[in-house]
Amino acid sequence: MISVVRMLSTLLDHDGRRRLLRVVATFVATGVLQGLAFAALVPLLVALFTQDWNGVTAWAGALLGLLVAHHVLLTLADLAGYDLACDLLDRTLARLGEHVARLPLGWYDADRTGMVGRMASKGAADISSIPGHLLRPMTAAVVSPVTVVAALLVLEWRLGVALLAGVVLVFAATRLLSVIIGRSEAGYDTAMANGSARVVEFALNQQALRVFGRTVHGNELVEDAFAAQRAASRRMLVTGFGGRGLQLLAVQALLTVVVALSVHLVLGGSLDTATAVGLLVLSVRFVESMVDLGELSSALRIAQGSLRRVLDLLEIAPLPEPAVPATARDGAVEMTDVSFSYDGSTPVLDGVSFTAPARSLTAIVGPSGSGKSTLLRLAARFHDVTSGSVRVGGVDLRDLGTEALMADVSIVFQDVYLFEGTLRDNVLLAAPDADPARLAEAARLARVDDIVARLPHGWETRVGEAGSTLSGGERQRVAICRALLKDASVVLLDEATAALDAENEAAVQEALTALAADRTVIVIAHRLQTVTAADQILVLDGGRIAERGSHADLLAAEGRYRDFWQQRTSAAGWQLVGEPAG
Amino acid sequence: MASPLRDILRPVRGRLLACIALTVVSTVAGLVPMTGIVELARILLPATSGASIDAGRAWLVVQVSLGALGVRLATILAASWLSHAADLDLSVLLRRSLVARLGRVPLAWFTERSSGQVKKAVQDDVAALHHLVAHSAMELTAAITLPLTVAAYLLSVDVTMALVTCVPLVLGIIGLRISMRGAAELYQTYDRGLAEIGSAAVELVNGITVVKTFGREGRTHRRFTEVAQRFGGFNRDWMRHSALGMLLMELALTPVLTLTLVAVVGALLASRGNLATIDLVPFLVLGLTMTAPVTVAGYAGRELREATGAAQRIQELLATPELPVPATAANPEGGRVELRGVGFAYSPGGRLVLDGISLTLEPGTVTALVGPSGSGKSTLARLLPRFADPTLGSINLGGCDLRSLTSEQLYERVSFVFQETSLLRTSLRDNIRLARPDASDQDVRHAAAAAQILDRLDALPRGLDSVVGEDALLSGGERQRVAIARAILADTPVLVLDEATAAADPESEAQVQQALSTLVAGRTLLVIAHRLSTITGADRIVVLDSGLVAESGTHTDLLAADGLYARLWRADQRAHSEPAHTQTAEVAR
Repeated sequence: MISVVRMLSTLLDHDGRRRLLRVVATFVATGVLQGLAFAALVPLLVALFTQDWNGVTAWAGALLGLLVAHHVLLTLADLAGYDLACDLLDRTLARLGEHVARLPLGWYDADRTGMVGRMASKGAADISSIPGHLLRPMTAAVVSPVTVVAALLVLEWRLGVALLAGVVLVFAATRLLSVIIGRSEAGYDTAMANGSARVVEFALNQQALRVFGRTVHGNELVEDAFAAQRAASRRMLVTGFGGRGLQLLAVQALLTVVVALSVHLVLGGSLDTATAVGLLVLSVRFVESMVDLGELSSALRIAQGSLRRVLDLLEIAPLPEPAVPATARDGAVEMTDVSFSYDGSTPVLDGVSFTAPARSLTAIVGPSGSGKSTLLRLAARFHDVTSGSVRVGGVDLRDLGTEALMADVSIVFQDVYLFEGTLRDNVLLAAPDADPARLAEAARLARVDDIVARLPHGWETRVGEAGSTLSGGERQRVAICRALLKDASVVLLDEATAALDAENEAAVQEALTALAADRTVIVIAHRLQTVTAADQILVLDGGRIAERGSHADLLAAEGRYRDFWQQRTSAAGWQLVGEPAG
Repeated sequence: MASPLRDILRPVRGRLLACIALTVVSTVAGLVPMTGIVELARILLPATSGASIDAGRAWLVVQVSLGALGVRLATILAASWLSHAADLDLSVLLRRSLVARLGRVPLAWFTERSSGQVKKAVQDDVAALHHLVAHSAMELTAAITLPLTVAAYLLSVDVTMALVTCVPLVLGIIGLRISMRGAAELYQTYDRGLAEIGSAAVELVNGITVVKTFGREGRTHRRFTEVAQRFGGFNRDWMRHSALGMLLMELALTPVLTLTLVAVVGALLASRGNLATIDLVPFLVLGLTMTAPVTVAGYAGRELREATGAAQRIQELLATPELPVPATAANPEGGRVELRGVGFAYSPGGRLVLDGISLTLEPGTVTALVGPSGSGKSTLARLLPRFADPTLGSINLGGCDLRSLTSEQLYERVSFVFQETSLLRTSLRDNIRLARPDASDQDVRHAAAAAQILDRLDALPRGLDSVVGEDALLSGGERQRVAIARAILADTPVLVLDEATAAADPESEAQVQQALSTLVAGRTLLVIAHRLSTITGADRIVVLDSGLVAESGTHTDLLAADGLYARLWRADQRAHSEPAHTQTAEVAR
């Protein structure tokens, strides 16, 4: 409860925090007033039963006064709470959007995409429901019983002590319940996530599953996942059940003890009957609040989970940015003794040093897992290096700052992202004011003009997830077109591994030549033409540069590169069927 | 209850009814201790005026209350157990039927939907029923039983006071109604807004590289901000619109109001002698329970709406037409494939992307499909494993229309290897023997060896038991070879292949090539060719252009004809031309 308020306040600004505290304080005050109103019942009833009409008038007046004060405060707090709920939603979304845009690019992967999506929708809604709908009943359910117990200790200490013991018992049971449920919920969440992954797999691999007959004889993997889900639900049910039973039992035992104790005290003559009746009424109210508490705590736990996840995301440190960004001299890229590890222990790059002079073409080759993609990602500052330095135009990336770096770098990686929007929008992202002639020239060089000609609405065809989908090769051509339009001096390119047909290959090659004309290009090379055209070739192996030099030098060196070259040229001559056509 | 819900809930109806009955019992039993307190007051109160107390009776009341509490505890737990168990069974039942049904619908159903949508239907929509089945039935029953029983009891005590006690309830209902004005529509807008925000966030994250490359003012960030602000604005408007009603409801339903109202009015009536003071006690003890249903109704409304929507979606899905099962079993003979006047459009009445294709694949021959991108090569190839059915014409296998074959008959005869591999997150062994789950270890190893992947798999700590994506982290080319091993083990006479598979991973191109060569040997092969040099030896090359067969013949024939194929060939040669010192390799191609 207090932890939720503390978590909420980290999400808010100074003004919001003050308002939150005011709202909480007012809710606490209404809880106290409610508790006092309950307590006032006892003297009112005593006065009624003893026909003390002056007392009745006085206590009825007090009760009315408490009601008015309670309702005035509640109105103020509720309205402020609604307002705060709206602000909180806006603020959560704004902070998420802002923060996500500042995280290291390397942080993102497919799982996280979905996670951010859920956080921004359901998560934000859950969080905003806290001041809007949860804070008041929660506060009331805690504060008013405490007030009642305090009042009871004054009015009739023996019953007060009994209730106090009961409160401790019920709080403990509630606490225990949420711990137990939390634990089995984790198991349930895992089982559900596995089940969902299986269903996604089932949908994605439908073709293979059918062609190989797995939809006819049942799909064991999906079946097993459902069975595991069921088992996890059952476990959660059993544990939750024990907990809930315990909680109900505690509440009811409390009521029973109070009733029995009252009867005992009255019969023993040490408690007067009017007070006893008043106290019994009070106890019923008290027990009801405790039941509310149990029901609210699960809603609170859900909201708290969402809050925790959003705060965790916001706590991930963005890459440090320089106070005064330095300016890059030119487009030269230089790595000095760069080492990098994703997990802090296994090095992916180890002591890599090279210089790519401005307007040169550097090709990177090497087996998969040798660190090629990581090297390119470090040059784009998807991550900061673990040790060593990466410089562009003589300036360390950390001093250059992301904004300046991004202005100077074009990235054409394998996973080309197209936005919902027209093909034109997607290309012009690079240079919104490009004149038609420049656009046409870039489109021609990247052979996007062919794509435009093929699509039903040409440049105005909607692409992206919901629109027409372009093939892998075509997407890469769009990305190259973007890069051509963008006035950046460095181009980082991963030649698509998606097989390119003759048409796409020719296009990519021409565009690459055009790009390399006046830019520094670092390319993970898959095509033989690219390596032969490169000014320098870096052969990576196990995170280190094994060989470097020009194509001719490296061939002559008869090392790894020569093996690579021979393998690739023989692969290029492969025929699926029949005799070579000579 | 709305009808989609009734239908969905049918399998657990018995248990839900039992659960409702138990809840009625538990609600009434829960009221017994309350009336017990009232009784105690009646027994004890005479003592104030000095009369003697019937102690035995007092203790009896305590004992009866205690017994009722026991009954309540037992029934509430039993009802809750029943409803949760019903929910468990129902969700497994629904998920199984959904998956079973989806395994039989036309494949096009999947191409029209994202895997996320399928997951939402099978997992989330079924989960949305949970609250309804496991909780709402009980809550609603209690919310109706409780005030009715209490009202009846209170009316029997004093009519005026009973009406006074109902005032907050009436005010609460009025508040609820005010706050729910136009709520059905608003909830829809709200849900749409949430979905929009979710997808804007996903887009923001997916496009983050582009966002960064093109500056902070990149359009997705702007779009996210716009969507978020619009949603925030809507949320605020709605909050303002319903604030008054919600506030009224809260003020009416707080226990303080009922308590004060009952106490003050009761005291007034008692002071005038219109009410026995002792008769005030039942109202103070029980009056507050009257307001509970409004709160429940507020929550239940939304739950019910969500569950109804989910139930409707589930039912629609369960009603998706299945691929028709052939009435009489066909009896295909031999492996000849004949395409007769095949036309294909993605939507009924839409543009034909394939038109008038007639083609025969003789057993054991190689047919290559070539053509510019968008010419229909892949679409045509995908008709053979029946990923879709032709819009016009027919495809015959061994003399029988594909549509007359059962799934078993088809998958025993046709398999495919495409560029995108489809490995499942399970052991490598099970991945390889997907088509023949009973294949022996020796067969699996044999296929893996033929696909050039056995050594790599044996080198893994758990060998063939390694799980793809967990301890078997394979490169693209390695995944391709596992998929090839799978096709080798399936050993179908007809194979559809995307030649691009060979080049999907440059690092292990040579090994994938070798595996493919092993796979295709001796089969009736239909291959989608991207690099023409790989299929010059094909028995027949079919050149597609805008969905029509432009030319067909052998490599030599087609070059001599100097048509589209010859042009494509020259472009291919240019694209793959090497610098001078590698010309020898080129000539060999």
